[in-house]
Amino acid sequence: MIKERGRVTVREKVNRHKSISIILLLLLTIPFMSGCWDRVEINDLAIVTAASIDKKDDGSIELSIQVFIPKSISSGGGEGGPSQGAGGATTLVKSDVGSNLSEALSKLQGKVPRKVFWGHCKVFVFGEGLAKEGIQEQLDFLLRHPQPRERANVYVSKGKGKAILESLPPLENYSGEVIKELSDLHLGLRVTLHNLDEMLTGNSQAVALPFIKILPPAKGEAKLQGIPYIFGTALFERDKMTGTMTEKETRGLLWLKDDMESYTVTLKPEGIEGLISINPISSRVRIIPYIVNGNWRVSVKVDTEGTVIQNGTKLNLTVPKSLKIAERTYQKDVEKRIRLTLLHLQGNGDDVIGLAKEFYRKYPKQFSEAENDWERIFEEMEVEVDVTSHIRRQGYINKPAGLPEKEVKDR
Amino acid sequence: MEKGKISSLQMAFMLYPTIVATAILGIPSVTAKFAKTDFWMSPIFASFIGYLTVYLAVKLHKLYPGQTIIQYSEQIIGRWLGKIIGFLFLSFYIQVTGLIVREYAEFVVDSFLIDTPIIVVMASMVLLCAFVVHGGLEGLGRGALLFIPVFLIPQIILFILVFPDLEFKNIFPVLANGVMPPLKGSIVPGGWYTEFFLISFLLPFLVDKKKGMRYGMMTVFAVMATLVIVNLVVLFVLGPTTSSKVYPLMNVARYISFADFFEHMESFIMAIWVVGAFVKISVFFYATALGTAQWLKLTDYRPIVWPLGIFIVITGFWSISNSMDLERYNVNAFPFYGAVIQTLLPLLLLLIAMISNKNKKNKQSNTTDAPMK
Repeated sequence: MIKERGRVTVREKVNRHKSISIILLLLLTIPFMSGCWDRVEINDLAIVTAASIDKKDDGSIELSIQVFIPKSISSGGGEGGPSQGAGGATTLVKSDVGSNLSEALSKLQGKVPRKVFWGHCKVFVFGEGLAKEGIQEQLDFLLRHPQPRERANVYVSKGKGKAILESLPPLENYSGEVIKELSDLHLGLRVTLHNLDEMLTGNSQAVALPFIKILPPAKGEAKLQGIPYIFGTALFERDKMTGTMTEKETRGLLWLKDDMESYTVTLKPEGIEGLISINPISSRVRIIPYIVNGNWRVSVKVDTEGTVIQNGTKLNLTVPKSLKIAERTYQKDVEKRIRLTLLHLQGNGDDVIGLAKEFYRKYPKQFSEAENDWERIFEEMEVEVDVTSHIRRQGYINKPAGLPEKEVKDR
Repeated sequence: MEKGKISSLQMAFMLYPTIVATAILGIPSVTAKFAKTDFWMSPIFASFIGYLTVYLAVKLHKLYPGQTIIQYSEQIIGRWLGKIIGFLFLSFYIQVTGLIVREYAEFVVDSFLIDTPIIVVMASMVLLCAFVVHGGLEGLGRGALLFIPVFLIPQIILFILVFPDLEFKNIFPVLANGVMPPLKGSIVPGGWYTEFFLISFLLPFLVDKKKGMRYGMMTVFAVMATLVIVNLVVLFVLGPTTSSKVYPLMNVARYISFADFFEHMESFIMAIWVVGAFVKISVFFYATALGTAQWLKLTDYRPIVWPLGIFIVITGFWSISNSMDLERYNVNAFPFYGAVIQTLLPLLLLLIAMISNKNKKNKQSNTTDAPMK
């Protein structure tokens, strides 16, 4: 009995000892909880919404950042849209010059009271001057630094990139948002930082980036209220910009890249008065490389469906014969666009479609042997374009609008 | 020494994160350097060394039930040689545990806690693991069981969210340069598979010893499947740029933009990384502590947990000078080091044990007429 009692007290003592030591150890962990070194308050951050990198005439790099001003949103927000001057602006643009991007950034940091934060930067603009001399050196910073996202979109601006950031578009909060939204509409190419990296390290060594410029403000708008928009494509050989493509040629490129989403094809059927507009709803593009008897050839197969959105001709599209005419014209038009783009690209030897990659995937051995000669092969390559088009829907009316019954053809 | 018991399932759940945790983040890039677009095959080739290692560990344990390698190596090749083998194992495990802690902290400091001194990240993790190891194997097993969803669910969510960005065509060309590149690529993941020898420290404490082999093999298969899936996802998203990234899976997670709403998913990777590293370091730590106690013939391993913890932090801190060094070690040294210690040495031991057992049997049956058993 006594023995047992003794044992219990010993055990109790051990228990008490244990619990005290556990509490002490728990207290010891408290200093680790706060993470003092990397504590970041949101009001210590300068959130970059867009950045541009330009090259000055003396060879130095100019970095401009568009920094979000939190005050502008938190104080009511609805202050009657964009007021004139700096008062209503939601962002401010700061820039500085350095011998490379990171030096420019460290100098720039001295002008911004908060820590520059790249995590939300969705737009990177390379100025035309820098693009022509090569972007690889500055790209290294963007891919190495843990903050900038590979998802961010990359552009080349006509003239200086800083001007794009400085514009104060009336509709969106800041110009970075405008370009990003325009890219989301698939009106031009949409290239992310990762895509750029992939194109540069890939087989074809050619890059296409969306080319942007500022639409001058309309009458009555303030001076800076221009809107940046995508008006073509900048073509790169390796990391240096060598040329551009017009908006029309860019659309052909979009067809080839299977990125056609939101624009309208307007056609003029042969021998018939008036125009028909078609909205491509879905398209499927297959690029099939062939090597036959040492001849490198590519067959582009496009299968597209569209909806009629305007019919200015007198054709009644409910009649199979008329529908055939419209479909054939649609098919020819798409083919023509693709050919136009190919002509341009092959003329310059810029394989931005990634045909080299397609060949490498199908014929790795032959490609590796011919890799050094790829540019010549690409320029001389025969391309078959085979478009199948269907018009699936005609909208809410089944005859050309406002036309007396007897004037409609093929009733 | 260890009075706790674990089930085979708990053992499997301890081993799975132990191998996968550090293998999914940086290894795809290293493998891609050798195997180009075929790097997804490498874990399949590499897994054979995993099956072999588990087989060896289970066979050895069958010959000497209830003992770990530290104990039975003395029985197989004599006391002094056995002690030397044991020392090799212990020094290997202390060093490797230190390097794993360093690897864990290196990633955390590289991408999240940039200004934090690395020693703080390392020490706090080892402190946590020391608590678990001090608590015993049973606590560790239960912890692993508890954490496996935290480890698996973020991976699954990640793969679902990244689905729109997968470009399946990246897999071509398959085996453009024959089987050699993916075979070469499998050397590095092979090093990770040799870590399955840790099973040797867990087998003695299984409740259901018969299932040990089956669950061990299943774990190797699960690890292989996970690595293949991870490598495929990385390949489909990053394509030819994979080999230039230090943490390809991190880049994949950052690339997610699902419905313009699910973005910035790196916290998932962080969850996988921290939980996985926690289980991994704990299991290694436990093996080290148990092994050291057995080697020194102590009655309990708990008193040496704390000093060993300090020792591990110091090895991790001092044996590598920078993250480039760590990558070089992982590529050039560890696969061979790991394979020699964790696969070749046990293989030798098993061969010697089998031969000497046969001799013993023959002798016994020659000298005494009574049949064995």
